Amino acid sequence: MHSNGFFLSDVAGFLGGYYTFLAIMNGVAAMILWRRQQRTGWAVFWASFAGVMMILASLALSGSASMVPVLPEAIRGLVNQLSGPVLYTLGTTAFLVLLFVFRKFFVQPMVAWTVFNASLLLLGLSMADENFAAIVMKPDNVPIVGLVYLLAFFTWVATKQAVVNDERIKQGLPVVEKVNDEKVLVWPDLVYTELICMVAVSALLLVWAIFLPAPLEEPASSVKTPNPSKAPWYFLGLQEMLVYFDPWYAGVVLPSLVVFGLMAMPYLDFNKRGNGYYSIEERKFSYLVWQFGFFELWITLIILGTFLRGPNWNFFGPFEYWTPYKVEVLNNVDLPQMFWVQWLNQPLPRAPQDAGLLTQIGYIFLREAPGLIVMGAYLVLLPPLLAITVFRGFYAKMGFIRYMVMANLMLLMLTLPLKMILRWTLNLKYIISIPEFSLNF
Amino acid sequence: MADKKKMSVAEILAAARGEGKAAGKEAAMPADQTAAAQAETPQSSADSPAATPAAPKPGSAGRPSVKDILAMARSKGAAASPVDAAPAKPKPASKTAAGKPAPAKKPNAPVAGPKKNVQRDTASILAAARSGAKPGPVGKAEAPVVAKPQARSAAKPPPRPVPPRPARPAAKKPAKNAATDERRGFLGYAVGSFMAVGFTALSMTGGLFGLGLARFFFPNVLAEPPSRFKVGSKEGFPVGKVETKYVAQYGVWVVNSEFEGVQQIYALKTVCTHLGCTPNWLEAEQKFKCPCHGSGFYKDGINFEGPAPRPLERYAIRIADDGQLEVDKSKSFQEELGQWNDPESFVTA
Repeated sequence: MHSNGFFLSDVAGFLGGYYTFLAIMNGVAAMILWRRQQRTGWAVFWASFAGVMMILASLALSGSASMVPVLPEAIRGLVNQLSGPVLYTLGTTAFLVLLFVFRKFFVQPMVAWTVFNASLLLLGLSMADENFAAIVMKPDNVPIVGLVYLLAFFTWVATKQAVVNDERIKQGLPVVEKVNDEKVLVWPDLVYTELICMVAVSALLLVWAIFLPAPLEEPASSVKTPNPSKAPWYFLGLQEMLVYFDPWYAGVVLPSLVVFGLMAMPYLDFNKRGNGYYSIEERKFSYLVWQFGFFELWITLIILGTFLRGPNWNFFGPFEYWTPYKVEVLNNVDLPQMFWVQWLNQPLPRAPQDAGLLTQIGYIFLREAPGLIVMGAYLVLLPPLLAITVFRGFYAKMGFIRYMVMANLMLLMLTLPLKMILRWTLNLKYIISIPEFSLNF
Repeated sequence: MADKKKMSVAEILAAARGEGKAAGKEAAMPADQTAAAQAETPQSSADSPAATPAAPKPGSAGRPSVKDILAMARSKGAAASPVDAAPAKPKPASKTAAGKPAPAKKPNAPVAGPKKNVQRDTASILAAARSGAKPGPVGKAEAPVVAKPQARSAAKPPPRPVPPRPARPAAKKPAKNAATDERRGFLGYAVGSFMAVGFTALSMTGGLFGLGLARFFFPNVLAEPPSRFKVGSKEGFPVGKVETKYVAQYGVWVVNSEFEGVQQIYALKTVCTHLGCTPNWLEAEQKFKCPCHGSGFYKDGINFEGPAPRPLERYAIRIADDGQLEVDKSKSFQEELGQWNDPESFVTA
């Protein structure tokens, strides 16, 4: 941020290698396409793209800091200004919906390759920004970059197979897995593959450990909390949930429900199709619920927590400097406060001094009545209501108990996005707030 | 037995018992024929009181108790023992059976050995011993394997007669017991049995270790700072000041601020009420801000942003006899419980 020149000369070597790698990768891809003699146009395109990457590599390695290719300042500023938790969440949701709706377009190899290269190019151009590089190249965070690409790849592979199968099912053909069901032997095919993977991963980890040493810090102190203080990467989704919920719910109930829900899944699933082969059309509900829970409520929250949550757990744009002095208005109000004070213009019901325990509890119930009624309606009235409307078919097939388990799990899962939306729109803090017993929802 | 896929423990035991009985009979039969000339009738020893209690049990389908299993092993021993033990010593037949279940395995070796091979090399003897009935419970996989040689040997003509051998363990055990009773009995009166000595030593060692452990919890030097400490006179805390220098050692902010219209000096605990991180005092924004989940507290400790559900807690504070402010961390006061009105929770500035 301050001494950009030093930083750029530091990162230039890495970026030179990075662009050279992109050039080689695309050169090889172009060669393979050319050999096949089917997509010669694409081959020429990727060969020229590789040429551009070579130019970028030579610019990065030119030795002059001003020549290192970087995203224009104006774009970075705009991205920083626009980004916030609301836009991030809505944006990722829109992006995932887009990928899902136009999956037939995105599973084409050339489209996927284009998206992949565009993201890598964007990453390279962004990495010349000091603030972006400081976060993305931090040893803790490098695996998350890998996670994004790995997940994207595996999801793409599975989606591609599902799209092909769906098309075949529509035409009345057997699915690919039935046609192409050649068996391979565990020994030697699988065991050899595993051995090679084991050696390769060990080598990778060794190199990784040498080049990106673990960030060890000073001895821990109970009165000194690092700022920002982050959970391990796989718990950053939980940490993000903790912004919206009380610890007992976000830290205990919701994670247990995730585990419980995963265990319950095979028993709740009544759809016999899609067994042993990839398909989206045949199990749309299961697919969408799963992908929503996994991508939207877990992965995007991990990415948000890793890259975009800075000191004081404030939201920072990707090119923003992580200052601990950023002021962000987070004023939020509990529902009872909202209901009694703001809407009814009267003070919160409060038990008189030296009232008995029962009287106090009665007053607490009176105070929290709106929240309790809302939550009761949500969890008690909604499942039967859904059973006779949206999930009529489900209810008929699943029976009472299975349906109720499914509906409640889904409603509890949806408490997170709903609470997020309420927080953003109404500044709602807790729907039920009983600090006397550390019970908030 | 072998054709059944799964065998319950009870079935396996019943099967093992059946084999034991069969083996015992088989072993007894030849002995019967050959040892008849020696005037000792093994029949009587087979009907000895040690064997009888075990006999009715095997038929029961319920789960066998440990007692049953032991009785089974004994009955085997008793049934098999006549071959070698009975001719040598008529009396201790019951004692052998009660004393050691192990010999049940041994007598089978000479029974199965001779009929299989004429030459008696080690391998063949071992193989013969292994092919014999296994004492105790039999595994699912083992059951058919064990059962087969039994069936075969039962069909074959009786093996060659085995010359009776003296039972070593049977001879030793009673002798030892008798010696203890008679000659070295005074040792028992002096120190109790060796078991008692061992357990006494063990419990004493354990007790001493426990005492040492208890002592460990009361160290001579306590590195913890005292829970009561003085922070200087009131003049050190001008209006609006948040003193952060006690955070590192004591985890306390001493604040001079207004709460409900009264200017007070109070000690706030530096623990976020959300998940227990230590918030930072941001002078420019006049608030405590938690780095973990972004909870914010006003200068008076009231939560106003982020997920923290309740205000920060206060420690007890008072003016000591020497006029200095003294913070007592052993007492804390929570606003939501109305404890901040407690005169111990603040000092009027």
